[in-house]
Amino acid sequence: MASRTLTGTGATPRSGLGTVVWYDPEITLPDADESEGVDAERDRFEDAVETARAELEHERDATAERVGEEEAAIFEAHIQFLEDPTIADAVETSIEDGQPAALAVDDAFGEHIEQFEGMEGRMAERADDLRDVRDRLLRLLTGGERVNLADLPEGSVVLAERLTPSDTAQLDPETVAGFATVTGGRTSHAAIFARSLALPAVVGVGEALNDIANDTEVIVDGDAGEVLVEPDDDERAAARADEGADVVEAMVETGDGREIEVAANVGRPEELEPAAARGADGVGLYRTEFLFLDRQSPPEEDEQYEAVRDALDTFPDGRVVVRTLDIGGDKQIPYLDLPEEENPFLGERGIRRSLDPDSELFRTQLRALLRAAADGAGELNVMFPLVATVEELEASIEAVNDAASELDDRGVDYERPSLGVMVETPSAVFMADEFAKRVDFLSIGTNDLTQYVMAADRENERVGHLHDPTHPGVVRAIADTVERAHAQDAWVGMCGEMAGNPDVTELLVGLGLDELSMSAVTIPDVKAAVSETEYSAARERAESALRVATRSEVHETIDQ
Amino acid sequence: MSQERTVEIVPEAGLHARPAALFVEAVNDHEAEVEAGPPDGDLVPAQSMIAVTSLGVGHGDELRLVADGPDAGAVLDELERILTTPEDELEA
Repeated sequence: MASRTLTGTGATPRSGLGTVVWYDPEITLPDADESEGVDAERDRFEDAVETARAELEHERDATAERVGEEEAAIFEAHIQFLEDPTIADAVETSIEDGQPAALAVDDAFGEHIEQFEGMEGRMAERADDLRDVRDRLLRLLTGGERVNLADLPEGSVVLAERLTPSDTAQLDPETVAGFATVTGGRTSHAAIFARSLALPAVVGVGEALNDIANDTEVIVDGDAGEVLVEPDDDERAAARADEGADVVEAMVETGDGREIEVAANVGRPEELEPAAARGADGVGLYRTEFLFLDRQSPPEEDEQYEAVRDALDTFPDGRVVVRTLDIGGDKQIPYLDLPEEENPFLGERGIRRSLDPDSELFRTQLRALLRAAADGAGELNVMFPLVATVEELEASIEAVNDAASELDDRGVDYERPSLGVMVETPSAVFMADEFAKRVDFLSIGTNDLTQYVMAADRENERVGHLHDPTHPGVVRAIADTVERAHAQDAWVGMCGEMAGNPDVTELLVGLGLDELSMSAVTIPDVKAAVSETEYSAARERAESALRVATRSEVHETIDQ
Repeated sequence: MSQERTVEIVPEAGLHARPAALFVEAVNDHEAEVEAGPPDGDLVPAQSMIAVTSLGVGHGDELRLVADGPDAGAVLDELERILTTPEDELEA
């Protein structure tokens, strides 16, 4: 019998199979005449605020550690809502009028929640925050039992009208199989938390979710945005296969002993700790653009130095590959005055801008990098983006030499990092051996490389079918790059989306890649895939994939 | 004697969540009465998170701050720092 399917919005590209536990924090309010006296109710309110504050501070710290600083920030906002004098004044007035504290709290928050509810976007999110703070106080005031979300049986799927950030942060991805909510969108707090925790989740399913009873078996498919009720055997098998792998801290190797470094792509400092927590061996791509965006002038050398040093300190035993400023194409920075171009992706971007006209900016960044290399714990590698010619590479190395001699003149400590080239252009593929003679490593950026090899704009849906790195043209480009680089004793990594797909891990290992770098969420899955791979068999399979003519034949080779 | 200044908001999200929390916290940490509002509109008490948030101040908007008390200058400096720092660089 086929299952019933409910549709919502997927929050994470994962599926989870489990048993429904409804989360319904029910609160029974007292009657208006149940006040135990003005002083007693005032004390209760003050105690509740104090306890709530302690809870929020604890949750803020725990979230910062488990999920990330950005997600923890919401609790700072909740603390300020909790201590808002407008609320305290309104509660005091009601208590003096003879109301019990719980009713006074309910009233005081009620009008503000309604006010925010009527507004759009971020303002409506504040209504959720106020509701969260109110319910916390009411639970403390009415002695309501809190369903302990941190202590659910293994394999639970949590269903709820909505989940607050406090609720979501308690869910343990090791035991909870996923969650689904009646309300909420892709950018709701619950969805954002789910992504950070790599927890299968579907939000905004609507009223139909309420028809699913406790103890029902369901699949939460965050990829399709579906909740499957009483799934059949095939669906269960598919969901089981999709359950995430365990975190492995150590470096992994294939069954026959070839070590593959599995690293994280990182775009912001807040992503460093979570990446380490998911078992990243290092950072394979640290995008430095975040330092330059959303501001009115470029960052100072010291600010850049500190950011890179922090990254190196997060991976004391690993390697951090920092990409120098990669601007142009689709990214805009007000103070850089980027030109309007007919074909921005074929225009002045990446290293082309760093050599000229942004050479001053480039030199400042290189000085910051060289200083950080000396002071940070981990091993710094610096990589230049969109290099197409040996002349560009030589000019980039020259810029590193210039930065070093400036630091010499200043008498500042520095260290020369290993250097590398990002392989994104067809020219870089053909010239990989020449590049590899001059640097220590190459890293293949499959997103841009696919775009340029296939001559298909990444953003253009009409040619989306061409934008797939498993086309034989791209697979051969990868193989060619690896072969040319290895012949010169350079190591080769991959830092495009392809690297994070466990379905192609065997192919990539077989093609000879030494390092795979991806968004942190998929690291455990790829590490598991590496461990299940035999290098000798992967090698044969890769050779077969290099002999076929179509994308579907490549897939047949991989899927065998 | 009250002091005032008008500041353009830098954080992408405007005066929401974290920037708003830090803003209100800074007001409460100083000995000064502070009010905030649009340059040509009504002012609200800046020690109220609800009031500050309901101003709906977005990135690029201007916010007028009026402070009165022994710490007036200091609190305005601190508030200006919070309002002109991108969110990911804000430190508590």
